[in-house]
Amino acid sequence: MLESEYQEHNRFFLNMGPQHPSTHGVLLIVLEMEGEYVLDPQPVLGFIHRMHEKMGESRPCQSFMPNTARMDYVCALPYNHGYVSLIERKAEIEVPKRAEYIRVITSELNRIASHLLWLGAYLLDLGAFTPILYGFDDREHILDILESITGSRLTYCYYRFGGVYQDIDDTFIAATRAFVKRLRKRYSIYEKLVTKNIIFIKRTENIGIVSPDMALRYGMTGPNLRGSGIAYDVRKNEPYSVYPEFDFEIPVGEQGDCLDRYMVRVKEIEQSLRIIEQALDQLPDGPIRAKVPKNIKLTPGDCNFAVEAARGELSYYLVGDGTSTPYRLKVRVPSYSNLSCLPELGRGILLPDLVSILGSFDLVIPEIDR
Amino acid sequence: MAKKPKDYKEDFLHQGFDANRTDYNRRGYHLEVALNVNQVRKFAQTAYDLGFYIVFIAGLHVRPDEEQDKRNSGLEVVYQFSRYDQLYRIKGCVSVPNTHKIPSISDIYQGADWHERETRDFYGVVFDGHPNMKPLLLAEEDPDFHPLLKEEEKLKSLDEVSWPSEIPEAAKKEAEPETGR
Repeated sequence: MLESEYQEHNRFFLNMGPQHPSTHGVLLIVLEMEGEYVLDPQPVLGFIHRMHEKMGESRPCQSFMPNTARMDYVCALPYNHGYVSLIERKAEIEVPKRAEYIRVITSELNRIASHLLWLGAYLLDLGAFTPILYGFDDREHILDILESITGSRLTYCYYRFGGVYQDIDDTFIAATRAFVKRLRKRYSIYEKLVTKNIIFIKRTENIGIVSPDMALRYGMTGPNLRGSGIAYDVRKNEPYSVYPEFDFEIPVGEQGDCLDRYMVRVKEIEQSLRIIEQALDQLPDGPIRAKVPKNIKLTPGDCNFAVEAARGELSYYLVGDGTSTPYRLKVRVPSYSNLSCLPELGRGILLPDLVSILGSFDLVIPEIDR
Repeated sequence: MAKKPKDYKEDFLHQGFDANRTDYNRRGYHLEVALNVNQVRKFAQTAYDLGFYIVFIAGLHVRPDEEQDKRNSGLEVVYQFSRYDQLYRIKGCVSVPNTHKIPSISDIYQGADWHERETRDFYGVVFDGHPNMKPLLLAEEDPDFHPLLKEEEKLKSLDEVSWPSEIPEAAKKEAEPETGR
């Protein structure tokens, strides 16, 4: 048999998803395979496409608030944050200091919750069942804390133009401080259980290496980019809210493999805890919401606002026309750009490695599909 | 981070683009580049050579200019690029001609591939030279349905949804390259 005939004979297509545990949602990846090797992975998107951008331009800007939490439901508060900040920039609304502090505290708590969920789910993809139980245990505390002030556990709609919905109380502060203390004690558990596990290292080291040039061509951001050694974080590079007032670092990896992306996220949890601690210490008194007109006029012209969500740079781009309804609202979501490199990154690798790469990307499909 | 922030206006002017500094504090980007269809690829190449990464590509539907009606489809495509090493965002804007075709930049920025397919889904802009111009987010069964095209009575002209021109003029004087907000 000729080699080409042999290849033809051994090539087949494999549908990974839309119901597959390691695609983390309704994502289909059509894999062209040769034996155990992936030749061409092509993601198929849009299973849960809801056209948020159309909804954004067909209702007054206040009414879009609940939508923001339904894109990335795992880390919804930064999505709230980006949207209110966008409108505040456009309508030139000054936000009270205390409100910005509360926003930072709650956003960082949400970021930790997202990273904990990712940690558990990623290891589940790699075949380790136990870590997700620990991750959920810790995450549960955050959800309880956030529920006490926002009223919801997942799809938060807590921020308002000019401030936040309600003030935090002493119970919230005490619970958050207790949580910070608790999570620090848990590091050693995670380290023993996961980080130094030889099987885990074998499944992640030198796999799915994203080079800095590749990151740039695909517009990758967030921990996936920082794993490749580029210290780009919107909180530092394009400081918004009160982030410049806090002392925190941007962890970076070395070569950009799955292990680096893992390490970056684990280290980010500690940095978020540091931000929360400082914010609680420095929390100023004062109002939590500025006086904002009921009918916010969006002046003609475009405007962009970027924040650091748990998965990378989230940009809202708005075109106003003088009414209170946006003429155009574009949402640039991080996972969309991050996943788009998969056809290039996944060429010629083993199928189990593709699962490892997908997990390390920390995808949230409703955010990609919007 | 210790590097001095650089202004890239000259780099784009040097390449023959119509680049204007904007008021970052109000708009959230630093440089606005008005493009014509033939400049799109050169613009992307210049951005790539200068080390920018792609943020997004988006469409905008406005009422076509009466005088240019024959040539203009009323669709605008917006490109945004940014940098990893400093705070500098650029926006490129091109009017789509009546053929609904503009050149693809997906061979320069591979990440543009999905953004261009998304823009085709939402607006019907066809990107010439794109390897795979199929629906991405919307259903493949109905490739001619473009949800973000506005109804005739809701359309506004480009002037009605743009910053009044005196603001960038005033901003030009004070908008020196800055590091933060």
